[in-house]
Amino acid sequence: MDILACPICKGDLELNVTEETDEIITGTLYCGKCDEYYPIEDGIPNMLPPDLRE
Amino acid sequence: MKNEKEIKQFVKDRYASIASNEDSCCSCCNCNTGIVEHAKSIGYSEAEIRNIPDGAVMGLGCGNPTALAELKAGETVLDLGSGGGVDVFLAAQKVGENGNVIGVDMTSEMLEKARENVKVGNYKNVEFRAGEIENLPVEDNSIDVVISNCVVNLSPDKLATYKEVFRVLKPDGRVLISDIVTEGELPEDIRQSFDSWTECIAGALETQEYLDTITKAGFRDVTIVAKHPFCEPGMDDRLAGKITSIQVQAYK
Repeated sequence: MDILACPICKGDLELNVTEETDEIITGTLYCGKCDEYYPIEDGIPNMLPPDLRE
Repeated sequence: MKNEKEIKQFVKDRYASIASNEDSCCSCCNCNTGIVEHAKSIGYSEAEIRNIPDGAVMGLGCGNPTALAELKAGETVLDLGSGGGVDVFLAAQKVGENGNVIGVDMTSEMLEKARENVKVGNYKNVEFRAGEIENLPVEDNSIDVVISNCVVNLSPDKLATYKEVFRVLKPDGRVLISDIVTEGELPEDIRQSFDSWTECIAGALETQEYLDTITKAGFRDVTIVAKHPFCEPGMDDRLAGKITSIQVQAYK
């Protein structure tokens, strides 16, 4: 997780964990510069641009 | 030229259906000989296939990038278009517990499959992210080696992809990428076909154009380290001799 970056501006992300076991299961990554949230679901950060997300 | 967004959606849908087994025969798989035989034909050894979870080997790809990448213990590796995770898991064994392997894929069905395989294989040094290879969700100068297996040809913007790869690599970092290139003109109807794009043909560049794209992205010492003719049962006769699988190495 520590080398994750915003796919748009490549800047740092703010991690917010909602569920964690030995790894982060659910949460969000937030880019302050782009004002964009990236969800973490089932342990996988979804770093797709919003228009390609399901 | 096709609309980039349309291409992406088409590729995403096709590989989602392959991951869900709705699409029994993919571009890069030979249904008659089976997935394991096909994997061996593109460069995997029997031992490699037996040492990773069954579900990771999907018969996709056109080479075995980790076999040629000379991965060292402790390295951080990024796999573009990681699919079921086959090359991520092979790399994970090579870089060991102090190394780390990250798989990026834009298809959620593939990522779910990869995650199941992580549990089966109990891997501790791998992670998967949903992302685009043209906009990698990875910090600058953070990766030792980028690998990829028959994926960059699917991208509608290969220069953007290689520029992103260059950005995330550490200085002197390297790529070892298996991909499809073409020789000579392809029939127009094939170039224009979405199906052919998802089968790794219509989006493939000519060899020199492909190498020039990597150089243009900033890389040095761009070298083809292995190549072989790529041919599939059922492939259009007009493509005979025009499709090649190459393994490319380059340095930042």
